[in-house]
Amino acid sequence: MGTGSVLAQQVNLLEFDPRAARTGGVLFRAQCATCHGADGQGIDAIEAPDLTLLAMQDGITDGRVFQTIREGVPGSIMPPHDFPDLQIWTLVAYLKSIAAVGSAEPPGGNAQLGRELFLTNCASCHYAGDIGGRLGPDLSNISARRSQQALINSVRDPNATIGQRYHTVTLVLRGNQRIQGTIKNEDAFSIQVMDTGQQLRGFVKAELTELIREPDSLMPSFSRSALSDEDIVDILSFLHAQL
Amino acid sequence: MQHIECTNSMNVYLRIIVLGIFSVFSLSSTPQEKTGPSYADILQGFNDPARWLTYSGDYSGKRHSPLAQITPANVKQLRPIWTFQTGTTTRGRGFETTPLVDDGVLYVTGSNNYAWAIDARTGRAFWRYRRNLPSDLTYGASAPVNRGFGMLGNSLYMVTLDAHLLSLDRRTGDVLWDVVLADYHIGYAATLAPLVIDGKVIVGISGGEYATRGFIDAYDPATGTRIWRFNTIPGPGEPGSETWPNDAEILARGGGGTWMNGSYDPELDLIYWGIGNPNPDYFGELRPGDNLYSNSIVALEAGTGNLRWHYQFTPHDINDWDSNHMPVLAEIQWQGQLRRVVMVANRNGFFYVLDRVSGELLLGKPFTATSWARELDEDGRPIVLNDGSKGCLPDPWGSTNFMPPSFYPELGLFFVTARETCATFVPEEPQYELGRASFGGVVFIDSEQGFGALRALDVRTGELRWEFTYPSPTFGGVMTTASGLVFAGDHAGNFMAFDAVTGENLWHYQTGSRIWGAAAMTHMLDGRQHVLIAAGTTLTAFALPEP
Repeated sequence: MGTGSVLAQQVNLLEFDPRAARTGGVLFRAQCATCHGADGQGIDAIEAPDLTLLAMQDGITDGRVFQTIREGVPGSIMPPHDFPDLQIWTLVAYLKSIAAVGSAEPPGGNAQLGRELFLTNCASCHYAGDIGGRLGPDLSNISARRSQQALINSVRDPNATIGQRYHTVTLVLRGNQRIQGTIKNEDAFSIQVMDTGQQLRGFVKAELTELIREPDSLMPSFSRSALSDEDIVDILSFLHAQL
Repeated sequence: MQHIECTNSMNVYLRIIVLGIFSVFSLSSTPQEKTGPSYADILQGFNDPARWLTYSGDYSGKRHSPLAQITPANVKQLRPIWTFQTGTTTRGRGFETTPLVDDGVLYVTGSNNYAWAIDARTGRAFWRYRRNLPSDLTYGASAPVNRGFGMLGNSLYMVTLDAHLLSLDRRTGDVLWDVVLADYHIGYAATLAPLVIDGKVIVGISGGEYATRGFIDAYDPATGTRIWRFNTIPGPGEPGSETWPNDAEILARGGGGTWMNGSYDPELDLIYWGIGNPNPDYFGELRPGDNLYSNSIVALEAGTGNLRWHYQFTPHDINDWDSNHMPVLAEIQWQGQLRRVVMVANRNGFFYVLDRVSGELLLGKPFTATSWARELDEDGRPIVLNDGSKGCLPDPWGSTNFMPPSFYPELGLFFVTARETCATFVPEEPQYELGRASFGGVVFIDSEQGFGALRALDVRTGELRWEFTYPSPTFGGVMTTASGLVFAGDHAGNFMAFDAVTGENLWHYQTGSRIWGAAAMTHMLDGRQHVLIAAGTTLTAFALPEP
């Protein structure tokens, strides 16, 4: 590969071309969607990652994305592609156009108050910045992924949508000891959970007397009297400051 | 975000991720949060049979477990109970990790900076981590391996192929902090299992085949702030620089990687660490002198990183015989006195016993048929008989390598995987170019002449007590258990158990891939002794049949 090509991989030749994303989208559907999904959000069964979250990755640059498309991912089913450079740049442009974005603007609340509210109400289970628990999802960069309204909705009604790794289970052991937690993995014979003490624990199903799949999230819903809309905006401001 | 779900759809998970503000309500029996092992727990070593909290099981590097459920009498019944598939491979190298275990959860690192928390009962993963590595790795591309986690509290510590040190939350695999050890573009990488001691995470660096300068670092476990650095190649005017040409540029690229773990004596508060080859590897003319502290063992004060003593095994190495081995600490009777010693079976073919307080050499004796040297002089220097001009020498992988040995105190036996090989070295002056290796020559290996062996050495004399030979030179490590067993792996993929006293092979299991750099570990779970070995893309757990 000549010097010209190396330079071409570092400089996004189509950075300012508004048609690039549209052209890239056509190419994506023809060449990439079989594995990455028509919406680019990946297919778990073949470990094809969600490309709308590329921007979340540390150290990601247009050049790195170009390079991955060009060279593939050795040891995975992602092959190298000998497309002309310009075609790869249209794919990069398309991927940027479908990147998940949350609230670009700061929520406008009081981050300092939000920090206090977070510590009181959320931190026993959620991590943000450099503090918190691990029973619920890490919220450190949540505001880049989700809109403010969607986040408020989740606080008001956490059972509306529950993340797959956060489904609640109650395990009844012999002797009637009950363990509650979230399911991290499961097969026909065993189940792996994080219990409410935030410890990872594995169980053989044959040794359980009961396995109860709870419909509700372990997260309680917060009414307006518990957390006002302003309180939530303050918390979101704190979370936004963690980005 | 580099954390990847083990079974469930990441995209679904992230799309419907729940912002949770959670107070534990309606839970009548909320378990207490566990904070994970403390330094005091790691210090306990093998006292808790359910745990294995540091690379060798304890700080001494003996890799000798007191567990005795599996014995020479019943080991024939040992059978696999589960296999974990990594989904990532290192063709040409190995799955080199030693899992850690606590509370029934295994913490495992793999090739290409994957890592997992695995249910020790079933081999099923709780979470998977994969680092998003750059595609322009240097040394890390040619050895994309990792030897394990360090652990403290709820934090795991892992080094990366792009020469970073990470702290992960052991409950989720999320990154807590990420610090740069060195610039990987130059040739640096990192592959070892961090050594966690009181208030410090100790790591070393790979890259001695490039124009790098090795170091050993200590970091704050909570923040990743560097506490001290020991440079393995002195700067101009510093002690040891007299063993190099008076040339800052040569010193700055002098090599001396520190890519294998060290051991620790908490009473002396000294860290013992092996140091690798000088650079260029084979072309010694550019660096006349002994080239300290390459091919040495150093004893560093844990608090400061200051050098207490050193011993150089191979002065002015021109064969790439790094001294990156697990130093084994023990107390042995030596000529009527109980001595605190450190033992090393070295890549140069000699087995060494040194007083670990003073660094005094007590014993140095060949454990292979090497023609390089057969004796040490009164100053502890090898009397070189063959510099390569009188027939072949052990190959650059050496008479053994970093695969862990094991010491069985009650028997006074040191078990090491020995390699008998034949190589011809042709040095050539290297051209230095940023990010390119500078071996300084080529090596021709006569593979017809190679074989391997598990050898039992009497540590008081260095004499061979027994051996079991393998058809090919082997990189499998060794573990012993107090029931009188030696567990070892070979290049053909066999995981084996031997009678420690007689050397009789009692059991073997074909893992399907050569055992390369890994050694077994063992722990108790649900009343059963488990033995684990990594090979190829699998981690396999063995136990006796359920009663």
